[in-house]
Amino acid sequence: MYTNKKECIAMLLAGGQGTRLYSLTRDLAKPAVSFGGKYRIIDFPLSNCINSNIDTIGVLTQYKPFDLNQYIGNGQPWDLDRLNGGVFVLPPYMKGETSDWYKGTANAIYQNIEFVDKFSPEYVLILSGDHIYKMDYSQMLEYHKEKGADCTIAVINVSLEEASRFGIMNTNEDNSVYEFEEKPKKPKSTNASMGIYIFNWAKLRKYLIEDENDKTSSNDFGKNIIPNMLKDGQKLFAYKFSGYWKDVGTISSLWEANMDVLNDNKGINLDDSSWKIYARNTAEPPHYVGSEAVIRNSLVTEGCKINGKVSDSVLSTGVEICEGAIVEDSTIMPNAKICKGAVVKYAIVGNNAVVGENAVVGARQDGMVDGQWQITVVGPNAKVKPNTVVPVKAMVD
Amino acid sequence: MNNAMSIIFASDTESKLNELTLHRTTASLPFCGRYRCIDFTLSNLVNSSITTIGIITRSNYSSLMDHIRMGRDWDLNRKNSGIAVFPPYASNTSHNVFKGKIEALYGILDYIENSNDEYVIVTNSNIIASIDFDEVYEEHVKNGADITMLTYMANPTTSKRVLVDSDKNGRVTGMRITRTASNHECEIALNCYIFKREQLMALITENYERGRIDLEKDILQANIDKLKIYAYKVKGHASIIDDVKSYYNESMAILDNDIRNSLFYSVGKVFTKVKDSVPTRYCEGAKVVNSLIADGCKINGKVENSILFRGVIVEEGAVIKDSIVMEGGHIMKGSRLNYAITDKDVTVTEDKSLSGSENYPVVVVKNKTV
Repeated sequence: MYTNKKECIAMLLAGGQGTRLYSLTRDLAKPAVSFGGKYRIIDFPLSNCINSNIDTIGVLTQYKPFDLNQYIGNGQPWDLDRLNGGVFVLPPYMKGETSDWYKGTANAIYQNIEFVDKFSPEYVLILSGDHIYKMDYSQMLEYHKEKGADCTIAVINVSLEEASRFGIMNTNEDNSVYEFEEKPKKPKSTNASMGIYIFNWAKLRKYLIEDENDKTSSNDFGKNIIPNMLKDGQKLFAYKFSGYWKDVGTISSLWEANMDVLNDNKGINLDDSSWKIYARNTAEPPHYVGSEAVIRNSLVTEGCKINGKVSDSVLSTGVEICEGAIVEDSTIMPNAKICKGAVVKYAIVGNNAVVGENAVVGARQDGMVDGQWQITVVGPNAKVKPNTVVPVKAMVD
Repeated sequence: MNNAMSIIFASDTESKLNELTLHRTTASLPFCGRYRCIDFTLSNLVNSSITTIGIITRSNYSSLMDHIRMGRDWDLNRKNSGIAVFPPYASNTSHNVFKGKIEALYGILDYIENSNDEYVIVTNSNIIASIDFDEVYEEHVKNGADITMLTYMANPTTSKRVLVDSDKNGRVTGMRITRTASNHECEIALNCYIFKREQLMALITENYERGRIDLEKDILQANIDKLKIYAYKVKGHASIIDDVKSYYNESMAILDNDIRNSLFYSVGKVFTKVKDSVPTRYCEGAKVVNSLIADGCKINGKVENSILFRGVIVEEGAVIKDSIVMEGGHIMKGSRLNYAITDKDVTVTEDKSLSGSENYPVVVVKNKTV
């Protein structure tokens, strides 16, 4: 029978400014930042959804939404242009006499209760737009149903040192959550919340309304909704995820995640026909490799023109590396140009940026550990003048 | 040019592409790493706002249907226009596969008649060029032409070519239909024309009823004095793909910077079916020079003066020189390719050697294992 009803819909929180990505998110929302050569961060949750048979997704946008809106369009690249369901961009809007920006993650969903109600879902999957991972949400939903949970939170095992940077779920043997600690100084466990939740919609709806009425609340899932549900003895379960997962909220982690793609043993496998990551195509010709080019251990995509030396790097669509230029251990974003004789090492070069002739950006770093890389950034549209030096960890706007 | 529709011929009856078109039309022949020949024509039309497009097929058209689908990748899935593919026997007047373009056009006269557009662009699908039809149209109107035929400068080959003589204003004064190769550069027709729709329908009907089948000979050549036929020389690089040699040479030509710029960066984008391949991965053993590489490849060997389509795997120690490896090709350890064209999903097993020569590249047919 044809009905509007959906068992489970997803709500993707994509409104964050991503301040820790500095100039990379000056003009666009974090989920729209390029990743892995031909993707944007948001391609991962969107592709995960469609691969998990979730075909109705609300994308909550707020900060600099134009690029993101244009990128999502009618959702066709992700097969999300549907008669019933599909992808919906949900910015804050006027309601009666009031209108509010999204005050927090929970408030963003609260403001869209009407939208969710239209599909009368049993379950709502809450996602964020700042992680790189492949995950079958349908398995998590099965688990949620099996456990008879009110809320299921995806967790990943992190090291004890890292645990103080995450929201930590302390669980009983059956994976039920008895305590949630936000960035604990002395973590009791290493189950870090991935910011992926499945709620029974009726329950979540009730808690969202209560939370909104609490004027002291910061309207946040981690700070308010989850603790409130725990306090009331609702059934919360942790769902253990063991694949690759990376928060790309900082310059260093964004760079790292790109480098991880080059590591067959560690990184995310993008070349997986059973779990394709979809992206909007830019209709560029195949990339051209010139007579002077040397390319080693790198990712190169359509529209690139390469005449220099490239190693251990990720080049995005339409990047040009001119004769005599050297690019090592770097991520070059779409349509950036590295001019003749320029040297780029351990850097992120933003969209449409130009590194002038013989300029030097960043430097080699050996013996660093993850999270401590000193990455040099050339911001989107920035121009590094010829023959200048951009020192390690500097940012050029 | 938003007052025109277009009719594209998916196959040229004269084609000598041998094994390469065993299972496909010329239109769907893979070209330049990620395209099919027809992508260039479709993109030219779309970039000039021509969105009512009929494609006439003769045979082997399933690969073309699979490529085009609803035309979405060219922005042609429209409510009031878009793509229509005509298989053979599409009309109740045809009981055989058409013998010539006049018969083919007569078979879809209803489709042409139902359009409200003033002009029809009738074109082959084996033209590799970046054409701005807005400019062609401007010239057409300025000349007060009945028919404008697009031309390019090239040496005639042993394939059928229409050589065009034109006066200083571009008016066509003579046409020679020939299969004689020559080292002299001539003005040659690209088999792409602008007609007034009403006039085209009248010409088709009359000539069909008189039992004529050949558009070039019976409508154009025969009417040089009666109709105002003008030539429009296409700017930038242009070529016709209709035999293995031209396929190979024109593919290799795209390694040239100027030609690549002319095709991809001068007028508009070239659209094709999106396949969501991953970026190409260069491994430690990769050594690639002067080559065009599509997405989804994994390269750990040597590639020189070559074109790799999507999803090609080049294993360690393999050497690919002056060759074209189509989608899904797998060149295993220690294998060598010289002047070779391997069709889709060809596997060359370890330590094999395939060698053709510059004027006669060796062709490996689809799905074969060497």
